[in-house]
Amino acid sequence: MRNIFARRSEKGRTQTTLPFWLILPTVLVLLAIQVYPAFYTIWLSVQEREPSGWTYVGLKNFERLFNMSVFGESIGHTIIFLVGYAGLTLILGFTIALLLNRNVRLSGFYITLLFIPWIVADIIAGMIFRLLVFPDYGLLSGILQNPSIIPPDGVSVLTAVRPQPWFGDFPFPPSPALIFLILASVWRALPFVTLLLLAAMQTVPGEIIESSRIDGARGWQIVRYIMIPLMLPTLVVAVFSLTLSGMNGVGMVFSLTGGGPGTSTEVLSYLLFTIGWNQLQFGRAAALALLIAVVNWLLITGTLRITRVNETE
Amino acid sequence: MRFSPPMSRKNWNNFLTNAALIVVVFFALLPIVTTIIVSFKQQQDITRKPPTLFPCDTAVQAFDPTACRWSVEGYERVIAPKPSESSPLGFAVTGNLLRRYLPNTLLYATVSALFVVLFASFAGYAFSRYRFRGHTVLMTAILAITGIPLLTNLLGLYQMGVTLRKLPIPFYDDRIFIILVYMGFYLPLSVWIAKGFFDAIPRELEDAALIDGCSQIGVLTRITMPLALPGMLAIFLLTFVNVWNEFIAGYLLIPKNELKPAMFGLYEFLGQNIINLQVIAAACIIIAIPMVILFLFTRRTFFRAMVEGAVKG
Repeated sequence: MRNIFARRSEKGRTQTTLPFWLILPTVLVLLAIQVYPAFYTIWLSVQEREPSGWTYVGLKNFERLFNMSVFGESIGHTIIFLVGYAGLTLILGFTIALLLNRNVRLSGFYITLLFIPWIVADIIAGMIFRLLVFPDYGLLSGILQNPSIIPPDGVSVLTAVRPQPWFGDFPFPPSPALIFLILASVWRALPFVTLLLLAAMQTVPGEIIESSRIDGARGWQIVRYIMIPLMLPTLVVAVFSLTLSGMNGVGMVFSLTGGGPGTSTEVLSYLLFTIGWNQLQFGRAAALALLIAVVNWLLITGTLRITRVNETE
Repeated sequence: MRFSPPMSRKNWNNFLTNAALIVVVFFALLPIVTTIIVSFKQQQDITRKPPTLFPCDTAVQAFDPTACRWSVEGYERVIAPKPSESSPLGFAVTGNLLRRYLPNTLLYATVSALFVVLFASFAGYAFSRYRFRGHTVLMTAILAITGIPLLTNLLGLYQMGVTLRKLPIPFYDDRIFIILVYMGFYLPLSVWIAKGFFDAIPRELEDAALIDGCSQIGVLTRITMPLALPGMLAIFLLTFVNVWNEFIAGYLLIPKNELKPAMFGLYEFLGQNIINLQVIAAACIIIAIPMVILFLFTRRTFFRAMVEGAVKG
């Protein structure tokens, strides 16, 4: 073990307090800003605000949460959002990465331009897309609200109500606003995923692709049987990170739809804000936050499992 | 008579790839370009049915480049200039977005990014160069913290802010609190990125300098720090952009309007200018442009940090 600050004690063990002091500031900040609030939320989830102060109510908050009709609906919206968002981003990102991987002379130039949406804040992205479909005056509304393009009378994305659900209470098919929210989110997430997949694609050895080509594999077969299996860890990481960002991202809902029309774009993260800060039901909001956190933790553990395979330390 | 040779298969493929990438870039930048166009329109060209892309039509012609009615009305209403003798520009900025909210954002982003760089490089150095008890556990814990959803923490942080405000702490200000919060949000990933950058600096270099008679502190200041500088810059930029673009924490955790960041100012604009799309567009452009320019000049540094963060995190 090489250790430039360490002194050898008589027992022969390397001892130094320096790393402790180096890590301390980070640990303190994280304890205050991340760990304490997380435990506070657990405590909050079994409390209720009474005029006399916080009182213990057991699992009542969870019970009330499950009884809210908008809760079940939001789960449906979140599932639809996540499937559409992660699926579309992966498919498009993979396709664009394939194009960029073909040794185009200007690939650096394309990557730079493609990356601009990622640098735009989510709340600004939501506003930009809102401008496009603003009822009557948005540039896309001019096309979408035109009855001769979309029969019978065109679609106004921000005001159209959700169609009658096909499967009981599950909110499918989604409202036009939710579809548009998915598209706007894909637009912003695409650069990052494309770069991630491109980096993984470039580690696929050229010889393997060459030799498979000699063996008679063609375009789609190479992608399906060589590239996707070799890129699988990265693809899984991409799915997880998309799911995480999709579950927790709330800025775009704020500026694009505000949860509406009706409750048709009310996803879980936005519902948490509504219950907590609009209705001031902090206990119930904490219960919902815990449920979201559990899903997050499962995803993170999954990611750790997969990345640890690559890490050889 | 000579015919030009038909395009070879390779050139044809190359052409198709480029064409496809140009289409992709076109769609990636389309929402931004339309926003820029909208921001330069007049009110009477905004509220038209059906909407037109360019405000360039005349009574006789659908598109006449000489008759375009461009205007800076949207920008004027964001900046709200008032003639002033003392200002070097000849006018004073009175728009709240630029006069009040933007300086806040600059302060929060700069200070929290500086501290994140400092703390993350301390911790990253310790994790990279030392093996101590709890090394792996701490590293994993820091990664696991990224799995706590932002909204979960906001419940706790909100109550924490309420409590802190009541305590008689000298010099306490919500600005200190929000900077700490931003540090807590962006430290975990930055620590991992910093560790990766330090891992990439060969220890042989440090050892060689030690053998050549350099002091231990000298090794740090003359060898390790200069080599780590690009990595630190990457962490600074990534944190700066993240804080600049952050909306929900600044919105919920700061009660006083004078201390809220620019993203809140934008959100406020959205409520105040329901129909003035050119004003919203201009505000979006003004807030987004600095980040886009920063990104264009420092894209290499960005990509390094992101690939590093994505592979590890």
